[in-house]
Amino acid sequence: MTVEGWVIATGVRRLGGMVSVVRGMGGGVTVAAVGPRSVAEAAAAAGPDAVAWIETAEDVPAEAYASALGRALAAVKPRAVLATAAPQDRALLGAAAVALGAVVIPGILRMSLQDDTVVVDRTDLRGRVVETLTSAAPVAGLFGGEDIPSPAAATSAPIERLEVSSPADIRIEKTEPVSGADIGLTGAERVVAVGRGLRAKADLALVECLAAALGAEIGCSMPIADDFGWAAKDRYIGRSGQHISPRLYVAIGISGAPQHLDGVRDAKVVVAINTDPGAHIFRRADYGIVGDLYEVIPALQAALGEDQSRNTEKGSSHE
Amino acid sequence: MKIVVVFKWARDPEDAAVRSDGSVDWRGAKMAAGEDDPAAVAAGRAVAAASGCSVVGLTMGDGDASWALARGIERVVAVLDAPSLADNAATADLLAAAIRRIGEVDVVVIGDAQAYPGVPAALAGVLGWPAVLGVSTATFADGRLVATRRIDDREQTVSLGLPAVLAVAAASAEKQAPGMKEVLAARKRPITAVSLADLGIGPPGGLESRGKRVPEAGSARIFEGSPASTTRQLVAALRADGVL
Repeated sequence: MTVEGWVIATGVRRLGGMVSVVRGMGGGVTVAAVGPRSVAEAAAAAGPDAVAWIETAEDVPAEAYASALGRALAAVKPRAVLATAAPQDRALLGAAAVALGAVVIPGILRMSLQDDTVVVDRTDLRGRVVETLTSAAPVAGLFGGEDIPSPAAATSAPIERLEVSSPADIRIEKTEPVSGADIGLTGAERVVAVGRGLRAKADLALVECLAAALGAEIGCSMPIADDFGWAAKDRYIGRSGQHISPRLYVAIGISGAPQHLDGVRDAKVVVAINTDPGAHIFRRADYGIVGDLYEVIPALQAALGEDQSRNTEKGSSHE
Repeated sequence: MKIVVVFKWARDPEDAAVRSDGSVDWRGAKMAAGEDDPAAVAAGRAVAAASGCSVVGLTMGDGDASWALARGIERVVAVLDAPSLADNAATADLLAAAIRRIGEVDVVVIGDAQAYPGVPAALAGVLGWPAVLGVSTATFADGRLVATRRIDDREQTVSLGLPAVLAVAAASAEKQAPGMKEVLAARKRPITAVSLADLGIGPPGGLESRGKRVPEAGSARIFEGSPASTTRQLVAALRADGVL
């Protein structure tokens, strides 16, 4: 008997990572792509065996198809279903889980099937613990791992339309760009952000100089924009603020609350500068400096200046 | 028509101590008001104000349920012996049973807790209602729920027919916590207590733990030395990674 594992996706994020985790079940992997054709195509390129595409009607959000997808999956009876924690994907997963009689587990890192029991590793307590859980029931998981690039497959998986019953009564009334979406923060290659380690609004100048030296956009944590009003609301990075994906992210005086880290999930290299060695931000960071930003920023600017001139010399000596 | 606002329905992960062997000590922590709970109360009250219907608060466990009464919720139901469960769907079953017992509920508003992201989704699944999660604001117009939420760099306004579930994510910390006067007045008001037995909920089964462990230390490389030294090492590392 083949074991079916499914991934549910309304977007293109972390598809490769999720397909790879569901592969651990030892059977075929199908992606249920709910959205425009572009989502189905991205899913097909992420390495599954098949893509079942539910095309969303214009002005109908993906989650309106939640119970329809649930019914379709109940007919297939997969032992494992995985989705990202993005709100739309989660709504679909919830309906699928209930239709399958599945347990729902966030933070999934690995899945396998042992002696007809689903075995998963999940991260819990904000990354402080990894737990191995076993379930006789199917598992509907929210992906907690890192993305991996999709295999550069020469062929992408076949896309088949999944014909489903009519969607629930949810309508998109309007969609507007968020103010600040055009400030360049979301698409920036480098971002420097500051948090409560900053003592006064005037000291933002220090951060601005560093950002200028790095050619970076400036962001901040929620309290800086919200409680203190030192920066415009559209500069705040976090779950309900800007979601950024720069190649370099420098977090200065930011403790790294979960809601902030949600906004920098897709940053490549993360640098943390903080006085508190126990700050959460160091768990997400690639590089860290434990120290006072008022000492570290000027030193960092000096070091960048040295680096710049050395590079310029190197460049000219090659000519 | 009734609106249920679910509050204090899970424990705060920060209340747990993790020992070096990976075992977890919750130190008797009760269900706590989550980051998103004040925003859920505000959204529930906004829908109530626009629709003219009443709001019932629903809480899990035997924590201080007057938290919601002090924030303008008229009546509170508490499932006193509700346990904390690893399976988000089992938590959703419990909430759904309590919502059915409250009866004639058309709207459920719950905080979209980051630590328990499967609960609002599974709750909608158990109730069989449409849901929108990650909502920032909510109101009611022309017989429909109207909610805004952010998707990437766009703000989307959606409307839903009833019944429906909304999960609200806080966009800021609570702005106006109630004063001492409201808190003391709230503590005097009655709370309707129910038990798992009243709801006909037995012990959950199926999910078993094979053990917990502390994940391998984060990959962060912490530079040592004076600011001049640490920053030079950092710049060299960033240069080597090709991000400068």
